[in-house]
This record gives sequence, structure tokens and C-alpha cells, in this order.
Amino acid sequence: MIIIYSCEDKPTLQKYYVKNTESPKFVALDLASSIIKTDKISLTETEKAALESFDKMNILAFRTDSTDITGYDKEIKEVKAILKDESYQQLMKAGSGNDGAAIYFVGNDDEHIEEFVVLAGKKENGFAVVRVLGNDMNPTHIMNMLSLLQKSQVDMEQLKPLQQLMK
Amino acid sequence: MKNLVVVIAFLMASTVSFAQGAFDKFEDKEGVASVIVNKKMFEMMSKVKVDAKDKEMQQYMNLLKKLDNLKVFTTSNAKLGADMKATVNSYLKSNPLEELMRVNGDGKNVKIYVKSGANENIVKELLMFVEGSNIKDAGTVVLSLTGNFSLDEISMLTEKMNLPGGDDLKKASKK
Repeated sequence: MIIIYSCEDKPTLQKYYVKNTESPKFVALDLASSIIKTDKISLTETEKAALESFDKMNILAFRTDSTDITGYDKEIKEVKAILKDESYQQLMKAGSGNDGAAIYFVGNDDEHIEEFVVLAGKKENGFAVVRVLGNDMNPTHIMNMLSLLQKSQVDMEQLKPLQQLMK
Repeated sequence: MKNLVVVIAFLMASTVSFAQGAFDKFEDKEGVASVIVNKKMFEMMSKVKVDAKDKEMQQYMNLLKKLDNLKVFTTSNAKLGADMKATVNSYLKSNPLEELMRVNGDGKNVKIYVKSGANENIVKELLMFVEGSNIKDAGTVVLSLTGNFSLDEISMLTEKMNLPGGDDLKKASKK
């Protein structure tokens, strides 16, 4: 019973998303795999498999308010604390202090990945948490996806909300 | 049941006392730029299927399998640099590593230490400490790499990843 209780009580990224989606300081964005337009190119079998393993992408971005710089540290600390949970396995990170980027994954082992989490931020601009959700993703799929991204067109319409960030 | 507890306790203790832990305190420090690559990342990268004809890529993939952890910390802050130096020195006291080479000159001071594995060519741990004014964007660099690899292989990697001190490592492997 205790275990069940503690699981339900602990903060998760999902809860953090829900909590902040409506906040004016955040921009939330969900992208489906349809963002990659594949109707004009023919896919190889491996590329198809890669695309199928990929489900959707959630982006939550925090914009640094020039009048309130402490907000950045507070929020990114909260995210970092969530990512300290052992279900998120850190792959790599680079940066300095609270600036920088880190990549995590969720899954039983590295051939069956359920989720990737990328956290990247800079104090002056803000930070973004990107969740890549999928079904049984594996390293080869990721590489194939990246090469697919390069040769296919990206549906810019779905990225529109991100423009708010640039303002 | 009792055995399980002991095993779990042991596992936890072994991760906590993991060799590179000495430098973890620099990870989130303001003024220290760090790059950390974990074993999982190397494992994952090595599992990507590459073109079998690409010899260089194959070699690279083979090396990735042999790596455990990479940590690089750099700072241009003199106080933090002194702290890094002290940490390296106290680390070397508790974990004796062999000095592989020492280079003075060119406005910098490079020290490379290794812990050898089964034979002289195999390195289990490599620690590099660089200080001086002649390093781009940084006064002090600490690089720690663990795994089971040979020096020749590693100079190839530092070159690819464009890590600080790569040139010096290359010289070390040519000896």
C-alpha cells in the first residue's frame, strides 16, 4: 500500500505539463507524427518502422520574463527535480549552472524506449521540455527518423505556436 | 529476503562510491561548463546499425561499446579552477592512477593519468587535468573517462568530439 501511495503522490512530468499548460508564462505544443510530410517521398521499410515507432511530441516552453529573472531558476529546478527520479535515465548533458541541455529516456532497456525527454534552456530566454513519446523506439529508429527529417518537409502549420516564443 | 536486501544495499553503495563521483559537485555549479555522457548513451549509440562498409564508422562504434562514462568540466573562474585542482589532487591520493604524461609549455600545463586494465594497452580510467591561460574559453579543464579501451582508440574519439585536450591525448598515444 505504501508503495502505491508514494507512486501516486510523486510529481511527474505529466503533472508538471498539466499544471503549467494554462499559465501565461508557458507555451505548450503537441505535435503528431503527421508533422513529417511523407506523401511526397517514398519510404524504405526501415523508415516506415521508425515512423511507426514514433507517436507524438509534447513541448512545454517557459519564457523568461525580463522583469522576473528568478522565475527561470525556480521552474527549471522543479523540472530537474522531477527528472532526478530513477525512471528517467540520463543519457547525456552539457551546460553550465542552470543553462544547458540534457537528454533522458524512459524504458526498460535501450532497445525498447517509451519516451525521450530533452530539457534545454538559457537563463535570458527561457527553457523548453520536449517529450518524444513512442512505442518501442530503438536507437536505429532514432537515426532513421533524423535522416527522414532531413529529406522530408515539416508541416510548419503545427509549429505556429512556437512563434510566440520568438516575439 | 535478507540476501536481497544485502544485494540491493551493495548495488546502491557501489553506485554512490563510483570513482568519478569526486567531481560530481561541479556538475550544476554556476561558472562551470560541463559535458556528461553516460554509459547508456554510449550503449545506445553503439547499437545504431551502420553501414558495414564504412570502416571508420565501424571502428567508432566498436569503441563506443567500450566506454562507460565521460565527464568534462571546464571553468574560467580562478577560484573554481583552484577547487578543481584540489579535487583532482585529493582524488589521486585516494585512487592512485599512473601518470601517463605531463606537458608544460605553450602557456598551459597538461597532466594525464591512467588506470591500466588487464594489460598495458588497456585503460580502465583516464583522467586529464589541464590548466593555463592558453586554452580557449577556459582556464581549467578536468576530463574523466572510464571504460575498457586503448589509448589509440581514445585519441580518435576526442578528435571526433572536438574535446579540449584532444591534441595532447593524441601525442600521448603516439609515444
